[in-house]
Amino acid sequence: MSGEMANEIKLISGRSHPELSEKVAKRLGIEVARTISLNYSNQETSFTVGESVRDEDVFIIQSTATGDVNEGLMELLIAISACRTASARRITAVIPNFPYARQDKKDKSRAPISARLVANMLQTAGANHIVTVDLHASQIQGFFSVPVDNLYAEPSFLRYIRENYKAEDCVIVSPDAGGAKRATSIADHLNTGFALIHKERPRPNVVGRMVLVGNVEDKIAILVDDMADTCGTLCKAASVLKENGAKAVLALVTHGILSGNAIENLNGSVLEALICTNTVPLGDKIERCPKIRAIDISPTIAEAIRRTHNGESVSYLFNHAPV
Amino acid sequence: MVRNIVVLGGNSHPELVESVCGILGLPACSRILTKFSSGESRCEIQDSVRGKDVYIIQTGFGGNGSRLNDHFMDLCIMISACKTGSARRVTAVLPLFPYSRQPDLPYNKAGAPLYKAPTPNGENGKKEYTFDSVPPTPGPGVPKTSGLINGSDIANQMIKNALTNGSSKEQYTTHDYENLSIVNGFQAKPGYKQWVAQAGTLVANLLTCAGCDHVITMDLHDPQVQGFFDVPVDNLYGQPLLKRYIQQHIPNWKDAVIISPDAGGAKRATAIADSLGMEFALIHKERRPTKITDRQNASMMLVGNVTDRVCILLDDIADTGNTITRAAKLLKKEGATTIYSLLTHGVFSGDAINRVKASAIDKLVVTNSVPQDEHKKQLGSKLDVLDISPIFAEAIRRVHHGESISVLFNYE
Repeated sequence: MSGEMANEIKLISGRSHPELSEKVAKRLGIEVARTISLNYSNQETSFTVGESVRDEDVFIIQSTATGDVNEGLMELLIAISACRTASARRITAVIPNFPYARQDKKDKSRAPISARLVANMLQTAGANHIVTVDLHASQIQGFFSVPVDNLYAEPSFLRYIRENYKAEDCVIVSPDAGGAKRATSIADHLNTGFALIHKERPRPNVVGRMVLVGNVEDKIAILVDDMADTCGTLCKAASVLKENGAKAVLALVTHGILSGNAIENLNGSVLEALICTNTVPLGDKIERCPKIRAIDISPTIAEAIRRTHNGESVSYLFNHAPV
Repeated sequence: MVRNIVVLGGNSHPELVESVCGILGLPACSRILTKFSSGESRCEIQDSVRGKDVYIIQTGFGGNGSRLNDHFMDLCIMISACKTGSARRVTAVLPLFPYSRQPDLPYNKAGAPLYKAPTPNGENGKKEYTFDSVPPTPGPGVPKTSGLINGSDIANQMIKNALTNGSSKEQYTTHDYENLSIVNGFQAKPGYKQWVAQAGTLVANLLTCAGCDHVITMDLHDPQVQGFFDVPVDNLYGQPLLKRYIQQHIPNWKDAVIISPDAGGAKRATAIADSLGMEFALIHKERRPTKITDRQNASMMLVGNVTDRVCILLDDIADTGNTITRAAKLLKKEGATTIYSLLTHGVFSGDAINRVKASAIDKLVVTNSVPQDEHKKQLGSKLDVLDISPIFAEAIRRVHHGESISVLFNYE
């Protein structure tokens, strides 16, 4: 490696998910750049770059640690702006779990469209490119005027199902109408059946009544969703599926946010396993809940970074998971 | 009662919001501002803001269990929510502007992180220049003497200095870190001077990008921050309040001396000293020790006379409390009788409260630009709090009616 030449990949890690950055760096065969981010005692965030980024291709990896979303976001913005003022050639924000993705529409009077605000903030700070995984609504890409690469965890999930289960024993279930498209895509690839659960949601983080549409009798029901937050929906859906005769119930989610009393909900539910990627740091949650299994997403992210840097097409990754 | 106006408060300083609303004679806009369990902010504005003039009060202070960055994000989200809710104009009222102080690079007590040239090895350690001296320019055929500095030598020296200076010596910065051990363990790549992010411009741009049309703040640490914005910024002054305090509460104030604890604040301090006709002294942060035995205050020097006088230390902000407590110590040493310290923003983060408690400061006077309840509890009668809500209420009223607010800049 010619380390002295400009326009190399510089991988910068935020504080939220250093393990993922480490894995991506290892995969790319480089080292994470020397930076340090801290808080001053007055709680302002400080970010220091310890090596030159002049004319380099900078990738900043920052996920959202549960509970510290705003801290992580400010740190990312400050890091982007620091690299911009330090004359980086291009700055790509790698945000595996896009913050505020669920606040993407004005569903009530004077509700903030925070996802658009975050998009604007990232661009204001100086991001030239965004790489993310499974956006809650792909329309969020439209909030940006810079390119957004929305990677999918689907190829990794498909491989996991094929390796661990027989596709003909499974039924893919979407826990809400909004996720039907995501679930049908997986069902089509596996050539299995599909079912849908309709739910009423009176308030955020509260789940109402649920109705199953489709047949899951004597099958392994696989719930597919983009994120598992408090897991209220998933656990309730799992019991609805059990009541309708499912042999076992699994859940496949991209972002295991698992906030609030998610762990208690999971441990007390009929759900056999929750399979999620490591886009969000899971911390000690795997020890606290034996049902959680993590799929490593870092090969996909590393490959996307490598391809973006070399100017190759990223679309290959939409259908294939690198081994 | 002011019409067509909405005052919206953040979570950072509810008392100030309440008292500003009380003065304006209207209720604060009802809103829900909490966090989802995932940590994302949840904001719902329950009163209509369509066509209204919205003022959002949020100060740049985290503490008492809340985080500064949460408050800042909340502010941006509220601004954005009001904008999408068709507010006519959104004004951010930030009594203390977050990220307004640019952090210093850590420097050691002996001076700034300048790398010393290698000591010349002439007689008695001094370089003796003669007419035969080779000019210090490297070139082919020029012998490389030990005293000659060329590129690689400087680089090597810098690496050596960076490695030795970095962690071993005591450091002193204007900002304290929450976790100092990580900072001291951090090493920049050899030969590269570390680059500390300066977030002031970013914060200004983020507010504008959220949709803020106007900013009202008080005593910006660097008035240049105003220039970071593309929208109007009204920088109010806490000076009149402090001046009134001097006149009303300090006995024989005419014989007291106004002190600026560093050169940067000299302008602020002289302005008050001039208008009150008082004497003025300055503390200079001297980089070199004047006397080797005089270690304690080696980096501080007083310009002016304070012997047997009452001293009034004036500064805009006390964050770590380092500057004012060190200044107070020097003043006591120079024979000051009583030391008052008057500040606009009393942030007192980290160990500041204990530092102030143990210091030579006899009386501390701050405004309530950030919540002072907790500080008041700990410092008791040592702390006096001045109320700034009338100034902000008046500024909001005047901005709303399109009246000039310049009278607020210099009223007596």
